[in-house]
Amino acid sequence: MNETQWRVTFEIYRQKTGQPAHFDKFVMDVDPDEYVLDVVERIWAYNDRSLTFRHACHHSTCGACGMRVNGVEKLTCITPIREVARNGGQVRIEPLRNFPVLSDLVVDMSDFYLRLDDVKFSQVASLQDACLPFERKQQVREDGRYERLVDCLECGMCISACPVALTTPEYLGPGVLAAAQHAYQQSRDASLLDQVDDQDGVWRCHSAYECTAVCPSNVDPGWRIMDLRKDILRHQISKIFSRRGPSR
Amino acid sequence: MYTSSKKPQEGTFLWLLKIVAGLLIIIILGIHFYVNHLVAPGGLLSYSDVLAYYQNPIIPIMEIIFLVFVVTHALLGLRSIVLDLNPSQVVLRWINIGFGLIGVFAIAYGTWLVLFVAAKGSGA
Amino acid sequence: MKNEPDSTNFLRWFDPRNRNLGTLAFILNRITALGLTLYLFLHLIVLGTLARGPEAYDGFIKLAKTPVILFGETLVIAAGIIHGLNGIRIALNSFGIGTRYQRQIFIGLMVIAAGCIAIFVKSMFFSH
Repeated sequence: MNETQWRVTFEIYRQKTGQPAHFDKFVMDVDPDEYVLDVVERIWAYNDRSLTFRHACHHSTCGACGMRVNGVEKLTCITPIREVARNGGQVRIEPLRNFPVLSDLVVDMSDFYLRLDDVKFSQVASLQDACLPFERKQQVREDGRYERLVDCLECGMCISACPVALTTPEYLGPGVLAAAQHAYQQSRDASLLDQVDDQDGVWRCHSAYECTAVCPSNVDPGWRIMDLRKDILRHQISKIFSRRGPSR
Repeated sequence: MYTSSKKPQEGTFLWLLKIVAGLLIIIILGIHFYVNHLVAPGGLLSYSDVLAYYQNPIIPIMEIIFLVFVVTHALLGLRSIVLDLNPSQVVLRWINIGFGLIGVFAIAYGTWLVLFVAAKGSGA
Repeated sequence: MKNEPDSTNFLRWFDPRNRNLGTLAFILNRITALGLTLYLFLHLIVLGTLARGPEAYDGFIKLAKTPVILFGETLVIAAGIIHGLNGIRIALNSFGIGTRYQRQIFIGLMVIAAGCIAIFVKSMFFSH
């Protein structure tokens, strides 16, 4: 093997309906600078056409290719082999955690997407609102008239990494709560706060911040969940005082 | 509607109660530990020392308040861990009742013990 | 262990492999919580010896001087310090304070915790 060709063994999680989960091994010759997704595609194309996985944009915009690589959530289209393996080494690829497996590396994201709709997540925002509020100074143009896609790719990696999502499907999850915070930031609609002010909403989070650590797109769901808590507390306190307001 | 359909606002109050109790515990535990083991003569390591110590009326009051906060925080925290396991509504009702009873019993028992010791020491 | 969310996955809460610092905070908080709750109820029960007279209480204190119990008490103090300091971080975060620097705050608090525990161990075992 020369420097531009490594031999790496890929262990890929396989599970079809009604069959037990297992791992299939594929020994592949790879360029260390190509991406994990490229190799998965080659495995599908030349080794096993029954392998199912998601991929689309190939440039970290669509969020489709989120998988666990050696146990860590990664967007495989931007994860070079060099980052996760060495020549002669092994790479284990599994589907995202905390979602039901549909087939091999494809998981059922429908609840996640439906919840995003429920919290009125908008994928487009003004330049000012598309990024984290404390980063506005670095990213925003003066006029702010333009819009762009918001940072969240809806990849679901935050939910995969969340320890609470391990044991309860009822928890809305970091991605949905971050979306709610984002929607609230733009609309200031108090009904959004009521929606997430719940045992399965913001109060279920235990501050592990794994979501923030694995997010490939700088959404910082952990920060957003805490920001929502702050907003909810403020809202509750202002409701108490407006109820007990002085008789005018 | 895929967001949770449970009663809203049930989370904020209990969570705030847990946090406030927790923060108060830090303060009172510090006082409890310091006073009971570093200030109290002999560090309360004998029966007669404990009895004498509880004659100061501040001590029983402080200990009972401490007990209430600690039991509240502990049981709310345990309940939080149970909630992470996604119990059914029926199981959760029983957990709420069970923890409530344990909490009330623990506070009642602790309060009785404090008052018993205080009364014993005064020669009653 | 299932891939989809299920209560039987709870053992994976305590698996720190391939996870970040925040998971360590979560694991520490959960384990110390369970340990402290157990200690709380044991403490309440054991203090019942005060109601049974001097022989019962003084007899218990003798037992409490044994190395096993002293070690257990050290663990309880360590758990209390870790849980308390981490709880302060969680409480502050939930009011929007320190969220951007929560990793650094956690590391700082655990260094303080280690220092306090060391002081306690010294006074517990080396000053009597």
